[in-house]
Amino acid sequence: MRDELLQRAQDAVAMGLAAGADDVVASAGWGRSLEFQWRDDKVEKVQENTSKALRVALYVDGRFSSHGTNDLDPERLKHFVGEAVALTRAIEPDPFRKITPAELYANRPETELDLVDPNLTVDATDAMTREQRLDWIQRLHDAAHADESVISATSGMMDSHSLSARVTSNGFEGTMERTSLWFGAECTIQDGEKRPEAWRWIGGLHRDGLQGPEEVGAECLRRALSRRGQRKAESRKATMIVDPESGAGLIGRIFGALSAGAIQQKRSFLADKKGQQIASKVLTLTDDPLIPRGMGSRLYDGEGISSKRRTILNEGVLESFFVDTYYGRKLGWEPTSGSASNILFEHGDKDRDGLIADVGEGILVTNWLGGNANSTTGDFSFGMRGHLIENGQIGDPVSEMNVTGNYLDLLQRLVTVGNDPVPWSAFRCPTLVFDGIEFSGL
Amino acid sequence: MNDMPSTDPASVRALMDWFGVDEALLSRVLSEALSHGGDYADLYFEHSTDSSIAMEDGIISRASTSVDRGVGIRVLVGDQTGYAYSEDLSLPAMLGAARTASSIARGSTEVNPQDLTPKGHQQLYAIDKHWGDVGVAVKIPLLQKTERLARAQDPAVEKVVIAWGDAEDKMLIATSEGVLTGDVRPMSRLWCSVTAEKDGETQSNGWNIAGRHGIDWYDDERLTNLAEEAVARTMILFEAKRPPAGELPVVLAAGASGILLHEAIGHGMEADFNRKGTSIYATMIGQKVAEDFVTVVDSALHPYERGALNVDDEGNPTERTALVENGVMRSYLHDRISAQHYGVKPTGSGRRESFRHVPMPRMRCTYMENGPHTRDEIIESVDFGIVAESFTNGQVQIGAGDFTFYIKNGWLIEGGKLTAPIKDVNIIGNGPEALKRITMVADDMKLDTGGWTCGKDGQSVPVSQGMPTCLVSKLTVGGTNA
Repeated sequence: MRDELLQRAQDAVAMGLAAGADDVVASAGWGRSLEFQWRDDKVEKVQENTSKALRVALYVDGRFSSHGTNDLDPERLKHFVGEAVALTRAIEPDPFRKITPAELYANRPETELDLVDPNLTVDATDAMTREQRLDWIQRLHDAAHADESVISATSGMMDSHSLSARVTSNGFEGTMERTSLWFGAECTIQDGEKRPEAWRWIGGLHRDGLQGPEEVGAECLRRALSRRGQRKAESRKATMIVDPESGAGLIGRIFGALSAGAIQQKRSFLADKKGQQIASKVLTLTDDPLIPRGMGSRLYDGEGISSKRRTILNEGVLESFFVDTYYGRKLGWEPTSGSASNILFEHGDKDRDGLIADVGEGILVTNWLGGNANSTTGDFSFGMRGHLIENGQIGDPVSEMNVTGNYLDLLQRLVTVGNDPVPWSAFRCPTLVFDGIEFSGL
Repeated sequence: MNDMPSTDPASVRALMDWFGVDEALLSRVLSEALSHGGDYADLYFEHSTDSSIAMEDGIISRASTSVDRGVGIRVLVGDQTGYAYSEDLSLPAMLGAARTASSIARGSTEVNPQDLTPKGHQQLYAIDKHWGDVGVAVKIPLLQKTERLARAQDPAVEKVVIAWGDAEDKMLIATSEGVLTGDVRPMSRLWCSVTAEKDGETQSNGWNIAGRHGIDWYDDERLTNLAEEAVARTMILFEAKRPPAGELPVVLAAGASGILLHEAIGHGMEADFNRKGTSIYATMIGQKVAEDFVTVVDSALHPYERGALNVDDEGNPTERTALVENGVMRSYLHDRISAQHYGVKPTGSGRRESFRHVPMPRMRCTYMENGPHTRDEIIESVDFGIVAESFTNGQVQIGAGDFTFYIKNGWLIEGGKLTAPIKDVNIIGNGPEALKRITMVADDMKLDTGGWTCGKDGQSVPVSQGMPTCLVSKLTVGGTNA
């Protein structure tokens, strides 16, 4: 398959050049996934997906366009690429748009990232059988349904295997392959007139090292039961503890403002903050593309730039932006990479419960609900649910409240970072504790 | 809408030719899908083409196109689903996908599909020229004109990004119950994003106009309105503040405020959640849930709206469905599975993102009918509260009923008058409680022209929403504690 995809990408580069393009980037991809769902007393859904696709980016007379198709019939493909080149000629030249310089392809790391579990590939000899999968999700389901207040529980498992090949007219050639397995459950309980729901999904690139179905299902049920009697609390300024699974929803939002595109388009509240203390000293963030089995791990990025480990924030000081070649050229900045890989936090020494005991009083956020952030000004406002923290313990469940503020202020209010990041996320955020956050409720 | 044109069987035949299939082949694949038994099977053929162009820093600097095609094959056994798709439309590939989908049924008896007869349907979005026939040279001047208009609005305008997108989606559906129909669905959108600088401060915002329209719809008046609106929504942010935190009366402005209905009521009325008992509305059909003047509708029948649908993605005719009529919960939104479960007719709400996805009950165009009050009366009635005007996000928890929407622009009301603009604040409420708290509804219903997209279980579909001005007596507003 790898050779077939490389060949397809090479052929597409040749087709683009033959049609008159000056430079061509082609990516050929293939993916397969299997999905099983169980609800209440039986299988809900079985789905199997296999897809192939080709993308080409064209540089023609100083102009640029990109195109994708899954119609790989050779004659129609040739026509498609020819039309794409003609379309590119019809738009305007852009002096900043050039293919990635070949020197950025150099020094590609040779780290063994271990992104493929041989048990999850399409040709695995030891793949889970249909019966094993159904048994797995039924056990998941049963653990999530194990309380009389549960109205309905659905469990599922999905595994996938994908491969892509990238070839350019200026000498880049690379392939990436990965597998993944995700499973979990969601359940809904009766609680008076309300039917609060909760979910728990976990995953990884490999099957080993993951929790078993009973643990995951039980955690789902525990979360749902903890919602009984949830209510809106009084508006207040309070200490906020954000649990690891919710951290990405809050801190992940600043990454839009760290991109060169946002900065060049004047839509970043961090544009002029390089070298400044934008967060409290406990926040150190690293972009690390080279972690074995990391969800965001890669040897080269979407532009073919060789991967490097890089500090983004060092003890609260902003050190580096996400700069792609296009906006880098517009800004006159050296490209780094236009996109985040794995984001690592410098750890503290306690987990969530330890930090809750330390703060004594406050509000724990377990889920965000809607809301938005403004990358131009840093303003944000999110809906949430979670629990009151009283006497160092998790107290009554709260819901239907908002958290509102501005990131420039919020990041300075970060007082403690935990040691308990979510292992299966590319955004490895641990528990975070903030002081003096605005909650609105009653 | 009786004067709308309709399509005939010949147009379905044309789609069959496009996909290279005939009745015999379709029946062959349906038979294979039912080779292990099952109650029902369908084949969903799709060919979609997308084209987009963007203008940034004064240059039409990028364009893109895409083609996606394939067939999704579904087998149902009661409410159990087997699904597989093939991007290859050759018979062996389709038979392979049909066998995979058939694995949901474990029987040994083959079920015979009914004979297929092509059938046309209503036509809500006929356009003169297919998007595939509109060259990029025709579209570029629209972007350039909109950009010039936006820049001319205010000297503080620093950056303007104009984005254009058009698409055509051809679909053909054949079912084991003999339904054979197809649809050609156009879509287009023009987006204007603005960043302005004033006294060392930067603000950005934007607006877009969208629908199942052809190129002619984008006339000078619409481009002018788009540019004016995008700049006005940005400039007002320089004056805007955050409201105080806590529970306040919220006036929902006519138009985009339909997002409240979408989140607070619409999702909870999708019948899959009710069939599973996971919606807070699961037992409320026939109950009085709101004042008599509250009627909430989800309709596919508004011509050229994003949510307009000639026929749904299961081949069922579409309709206007009253969710709440004169304050009483009336009907869920059904797909085939839920309609069978409840023993009712499908409401034409079975939709899917593409041939890669199974259909689910989804909203189309959701809005509230006009009520007995006026906008002025409503604002005058509020001593201290806010007006919500434009929005950038919304979400709901189906079972708990908590919903949220994010206000990008709005106003503070003090003593029955609009006193100051507000911005960037989230609103959170509970569906059934919010319905009860709708105390006034005005007579100025309008559908929003912005391009809304609804996400559910990882599938996105285009929708529309609308609203007359109305008052919700209490919702929790994000903001700053005094």
